[in-house]
Amino acid sequence: MSLIADEIISFSSVLRIAYNLLTGRNYLKRKKFREKEKLVAVTLPFSDLAFAAGTVPVFPIRMHKFEISQYLTYLGSASSIFGWNAVSNFLSFVKNLGIEEVSKIVDDIIENVIDTINEKYNEMYDLGIENGISSDFCYGLKSLVGSHVSKGRNVDACLNVTIRCSAYNKYLESLKSINEGPRQIWIDIPPRNLGNSLELLTDNISNALNEFEKLTGNNVKDNDLRDHFKIGNQVKRSYKNIIYDISASDFYPCNPATFSEIMALLSITFQDYNSNAVRYRDNIVSLEKEMRERIRNGIGMDVSKMPRIFVTPMFGGWEPKSHEIIYELGGRALYADWELLKLLEEIPNGPHTDPSEEYARFLMRATETGIGCDNDKLTDSYLRMASDLNADGIVFFQLFGCHSISNCYAMLREKVRRELEIPITAITFNRIGENVEQVKTRLGAFMEMFK
Amino acid sequence: MDDSSLLSEFTLFLKEKKQEGIKVIAYLAHDNIPEELIDAAGFFPLRLIFGGNDELMDASHDFLPPSTCAFAQSCIGLFSVKPNDYKFLEMVDYIIVSNHCVSDICVSEIISKYFNIPRLNFYVSYTINENSLKYFKLELQDFRNQLEVIIDRKISDDDIHNSILKFNNFKKKLLEINELEMLGSEKLKLIHKSMLFGPDFLHDLENLIQKFKHTPQSVSNTSKDVFLTGCSIFINDNFIDLIEEGGGNIVFFDTWIGNHYYSQIIESNLIDIETDPLDVLVLKFKNNIYGDHSVPNFLEQKVSFIQKYSENYTKNKGRKLGVINHIIKFCDHISLMSSFLKDTLQEKGIQVLNLERDYSRANRGQLSTRIEAYLEMMK
Repeated sequence: MSLIADEIISFSSVLRIAYNLLTGRNYLKRKKFREKEKLVAVTLPFSDLAFAAGTVPVFPIRMHKFEISQYLTYLGSASSIFGWNAVSNFLSFVKNLGIEEVSKIVDDIIENVIDTINEKYNEMYDLGIENGISSDFCYGLKSLVGSHVSKGRNVDACLNVTIRCSAYNKYLESLKSINEGPRQIWIDIPPRNLGNSLELLTDNISNALNEFEKLTGNNVKDNDLRDHFKIGNQVKRSYKNIIYDISASDFYPCNPATFSEIMALLSITFQDYNSNAVRYRDNIVSLEKEMRERIRNGIGMDVSKMPRIFVTPMFGGWEPKSHEIIYELGGRALYADWELLKLLEEIPNGPHTDPSEEYARFLMRATETGIGCDNDKLTDSYLRMASDLNADGIVFFQLFGCHSISNCYAMLREKVRRELEIPITAITFNRIGENVEQVKTRLGAFMEMFK
Repeated sequence: MDDSSLLSEFTLFLKEKKQEGIKVIAYLAHDNIPEELIDAAGFFPLRLIFGGNDELMDASHDFLPPSTCAFAQSCIGLFSVKPNDYKFLEMVDYIIVSNHCVSDICVSEIISKYFNIPRLNFYVSYTINENSLKYFKLELQDFRNQLEVIIDRKISDDDIHNSILKFNNFKKKLLEINELEMLGSEKLKLIHKSMLFGPDFLHDLENLIQKFKHTPQSVSNTSKDVFLTGCSIFINDNFIDLIEEGGGNIVFFDTWIGNHYYSQIIESNLIDIETDPLDVLVLKFKNNIYGDHSVPNFLEQKVSFIQKYSENYTKNKGRKLGVINHIIKFCDHISLMSSFLKDTLQEKGIQVLNLERDYSRANRGQLSTRIEAYLEMMK
């Protein structure tokens, strides 16, 4: 893990994002009890309406208390006095002095962040099964059920957006059985863009906004939506820049394993912006700047000889050791799930736009051309993404129990071989850490193809 | 008649249809597919309501991982292996890709793509509300257009009305099966045949129902009455034998192959020639509140229905009713809600057996044991 830690401290924004992810519980408690704000559970990157309505969206696992290293706690406290940049610079300075003990401490911090998140995911997975969800469902759903069982009663509402995955939609229905208290706010996305279905979706969004108004007692104005879309667009712009301008380039601001680690962190946190859109926007914008700054100064690593391995899907659960393994085998792992699913598209927010309609258009586009209403469309998305990233190979995580995305592998493999002519392999995944040796073997064989 | 004879008879029936120039549109068992439109356009709607076995499931693994719904796996297996009894599948002209569940999409798409059967699309919203009803109508219009392109003529409203009436009358007759005093397996055979042949079977169905009404079959006094919910028992599946061998008798099929299908009846006064026939089909979708596809009230509706049925049954028959929730392994809809269904019903004093299975022979013994233990407990 030291190779990751050695690099990551140079990005104070990453520390901030990680810190905000892990300390979510205190932040959320303050919001709920002191500031009397409403917490709304969200999954997948559908937090926009919750933000615009003045509520606090939360990806449920973040309501948990995480075991955070004393050092990160210290860093958090120090940052509130000196600012994050000062803390980060100090760490870099100390590490550059070559003081071994301090380097170890830094290693511990980062290791803690990554391991803590994964441990919690696994804990939620077990809890989900203990509480009735069949072990036959995918890692993501089991973890989500576990999160709701343990902490779902703390939220005031759940924002439920239907997608093509029937298990996911049924999981959404089950939320009111897990916890009776929270209001269930639904947005049903029509499966296809037929006739006036955009108008129907716009109306569904308006109805959801009415539910938010009932929840908060406040009106949600068009400008509230536009203001949030503006922030969201800035987030998406930076995220996309990091994906296309940096992850697909030949010079990285850090080593590729660190880079993948950062991308994984972004993938998790993008779902609820760590419950604070402005703060998240500032962090991701500064992350992009920090990366560019390092590249400009020639700090980082020439990765031109390292094959680009597009690793996907990872949002529903994947083996986090894979990028490190790929790096050790001479490659670099690229993560870009949200872009693949068209969830990083910007939403027009001009003064004359109808924001509900624009949001409907955004959701419809993601449904039509991102996740797709069938596997033909979905596999096209994978092809597009692999092509846009100029990927040299694809590692496809086939989640045990995933009937929506994993089922497209046979079709994807055929299309990739025919149209992209690059190698592709599937790795089965059930639980984090369960099959690391097998993952190593599979990736070892796969990476041989690039030698 | 065993399932092999049924399939053999059906093969002949379908051959005749084809000789008459009628094309066949197949689809996975699905409660929202507008079979009336298919019929009105002059096609034969073929419900893929066939169970599986190890061989069929294995054959699907070139296309799908084994952690896919066993029914879905078997559907692919049928097209891949084409067992002798199922040669009629070669007569399928089109397949509908629909989203009853995501496996429905994947499987229909695979059948279309890899077995060269042109696809038709018909998707359904997950919620049932004002907007999803409007969306349903859009899908109906689109589906009608797809059919019209194939037949190269308009489907008249009159034809759709007639088909709606035809299926409506057929379902009304089928509904009478619920009240027949007979062994569950015999009842299921009747349902299977009816749903496979469709309204063409109406005349025979009327006679058979009449016959069973006049000469009720004896059911063992010691057998336990069972309400079957969850996944359907498909043709060529011996699951019902396991229940009967264990001492149970299914008295009500609360599944798509059963009440769920034939209870979707439109009140005759609503099938008005002046009404847009697509609106009648929208109404049918609106009334389909027990369908497992829908969210967010499926569980509540299902619990309420089972509770009411169970109470009435005990009141009228003076016998206790067991509930078996049949879960085909990896079925998204039924599996995910199963623990909630069981907990909620048991809180109301209704004992439920959640029975999860696939089509492999290996688990037969274990299933029998569980069924027997459950029925024993009902004493």
